[in-house]
Amino acid sequence: MPTSPPTPSSDTPEVPGSSPAAAPDDVAASTPDDVAASTPDAGGVADTTDDVAARVRYLDEVMAEIDAEVRRRRASGDLPAGLEAELDELFLEFSPVGLQGRARLRETLALVDGSAYVDIAVPTASNMAVGAYVKRLIRKGLGWYMNFVVAQIVKFAWSVSRMFHVVVDHIEDLEAAVETHRSPDLPLEVVPTPGAAWWAGAAVDALVGVTDRVLVADCGDGALVDALGAAGLDAYGVDPSDLVLEPALARGLDVRAEGTVAHLEVVAAEALGAVVLTGSVQWLRPNERERLLDLVGTRLAVGGRLVLHSTTPEGWAASVPPVVRDLAPGRPLHAETWEHLLGTRGFAVAAPVRGGTDRSLARVGTGTADADTVNAAIDALNQLLPGPTEYLVVATRER
Amino acid sequence: MTAVHQFVPALLPRDATGDHTRALRDALRAEGWDSDIYVEAAHDELSHEATYFEEYPGRARPGDVLLYQLGTSSPVADFLLGRPEPLVLDYHNVTPASFYDGWEAHTADKVALAREQVAALAPRAVLGIADSAFNAAELADLGCPATEVVPILVDLDTTAPAADPDERARLSARHGDATVLLFVGRISPNKSHERLVAALWCYRRLYDPAARLHLVGPAVTPDYAAAVFAYADELGLADAVVHGEGLTAAELAAWYEDADVFVCLSRHEGFCIPLLESMRAGTPIVALDAGAVGETLADAGLLLPTDRPGTVAAAVDRVRRDPHLAGRLATAGRRRLGDFAATTTTARFVEVLGGVAGRAPVPA
Repeated sequence: MPTSPPTPSSDTPEVPGSSPAAAPDDVAASTPDDVAASTPDAGGVADTTDDVAARVRYLDEVMAEIDAEVRRRRASGDLPAGLEAELDELFLEFSPVGLQGRARLRETLALVDGSAYVDIAVPTASNMAVGAYVKRLIRKGLGWYMNFVVAQIVKFAWSVSRMFHVVVDHIEDLEAAVETHRSPDLPLEVVPTPGAAWWAGAAVDALVGVTDRVLVADCGDGALVDALGAAGLDAYGVDPSDLVLEPALARGLDVRAEGTVAHLEVVAAEALGAVVLTGSVQWLRPNERERLLDLVGTRLAVGGRLVLHSTTPEGWAASVPPVVRDLAPGRPLHAETWEHLLGTRGFAVAAPVRGGTDRSLARVGTGTADADTVNAAIDALNQLLPGPTEYLVVATRER
Repeated sequence: MTAVHQFVPALLPRDATGDHTRALRDALRAEGWDSDIYVEAAHDELSHEATYFEEYPGRARPGDVLLYQLGTSSPVADFLLGRPEPLVLDYHNVTPASFYDGWEAHTADKVALAREQVAALAPRAVLGIADSAFNAAELADLGCPATEVVPILVDLDTTAPAADPDERARLSARHGDATVLLFVGRISPNKSHERLVAALWCYRRLYDPAARLHLVGPAVTPDYAAAVFAYADELGLADAVVHGEGLTAAELAAWYEDADVFVCLSRHEGFCIPLLESMRAGTPIVALDAGAVGETLADAGLLLPTDRPGTVAAAVDRVRRDPHLAGRLATAGRRRLGDFAATTTTARFVEVLGGVAGRAPVPA
């Protein structure tokens, strides 16, 4: 559990704690002894001194109990993992942020259409009989004038609305044309499964101390979400594939069938403590990669961490089938390139951790004849073969 | 005579920055300093206390120090960039534009401009004064050569009178024994009101089906406010979420005292004065640890690492059913409030500004 921040000591006199029966307003009337004697479950710390450490320890104990209560509620089914996600999604229905692409355009267009009609039939009801009569008289008297003006306003509004319809139709035609040029989806088996990977432990280590929510992008079967949860982190995952998520859903994990960018677009600013990127981050087109980094940079709180797993272009080329190599929309980047991209976005980047498949050849035992010659040849070959080609970049948002 | 003149975009009554500016002017004058307030705009009630900022050059004197109360965008910032006098920034923070994405384009533009102005002014200033270390870090990142943390001047004894008994009775009659969660602050996306509604829904489901959420503050982002209340309606909470607006200080005090728990799930706060108001009322606080909230709150509340509704609900329940904890938090609140005493803060301002103006610092 996180540690509550220390409180600066103060010269302000201590006010005694309350008794369990006392309302907060009655605090000053109670004695410290009442407190300690009657609330053994509350930590047993008598509030008689300005002992900052004791106060912090007490609050930590309370927070641990609250955390245990939440876990108990989740385990009992009172608070299903998907419930909170449903609450999030429901709010999006009322949020313009939740409407993306065509839906957003069409909804805005509907608002324009709805506002384009001006009603000149002014209500004439009144609490006084004479009031209604006067209003009707004014309406009748000004009707010819209002009709003339309003007809022109409505004509203008409908022209504007018509223009927007033409623009939106044109945009949708363009989108459809672009869609036909999309790269084919990549086979699922080439996307690494986070939890089973060599870097899961390093990712967990890098996120220790993060108190806010941790998003695992392309979370696959949820193994990394599990590992982060076991380390006390509040992790959840997204993955575009329903099929891949099934094991995670079966274990009751908070995982959602969404693409990473689509999900981040509806997450509130500075709402995340950390983001773990892997999998499809390797095949992103340059514009998609820019969008993803922009979103990560605003959705992470200041001080939040980004853990990025990828592989070098050379390692990637050696590890995927030719068809994937040819058809993937983008290419992986070197760790140094990620460091550069993140550095320009206000991230402090730690030295990358390297690992994964090592394609170098093992040396032979020294007991065999010609071992030295063979090992010299192996060493020479290893100079040409890629070593560990995967890497983990850990970055912290500084501004 | 050495003088510290303040510049503020708008001087408004019953406004934290306005009250702060006027209190600081009075404190500086009490020290025998020359101190006036220059504004882009002033409320009618206070127009006699302010001078239009473009009139300053005609009144400038050698040795003047200019202090800018920075919390929003204003032409005053561009004006100050062109002045030769030593400039001190009193930074109250600006909400990042990303919070308004999709909600209110013109506000996003306005705060983005304000942040650009902070970035331009910070390296030009001789000193940045910030309400919190959180704000000071932003100034330092933007190149401000020196920063000092001095809280905003809040004289709660003067600005928060006793609770209105009639309002208190009216509120109490409406909800009876039901748990009341309270948040005070403008309805704006960075304050995460929808998370408060979600937390209420969870709390009612798990702990108290009759619980209510009282939201006090102006709906400054109308689309966002409409979405929050529509969301509450959809969740069957239309009658349980109550909006208070335009309250007098005594009525506001009644809302604080009426509440069982003050819950703050803001994502971005540069200081958060309502936390102090809640401490003054003795209302225990549950808050998300974001922005400067943890710093202002210290140990005077439950500081949550997450705003997940289940966790917030469990924390509220813990405070609600554990009077000992509620009492300790209220006690800690009163203790913490002492750290922000107006006399202490005033002395600190005079000390810090005295250093800039070349005057002998006044001991705090």
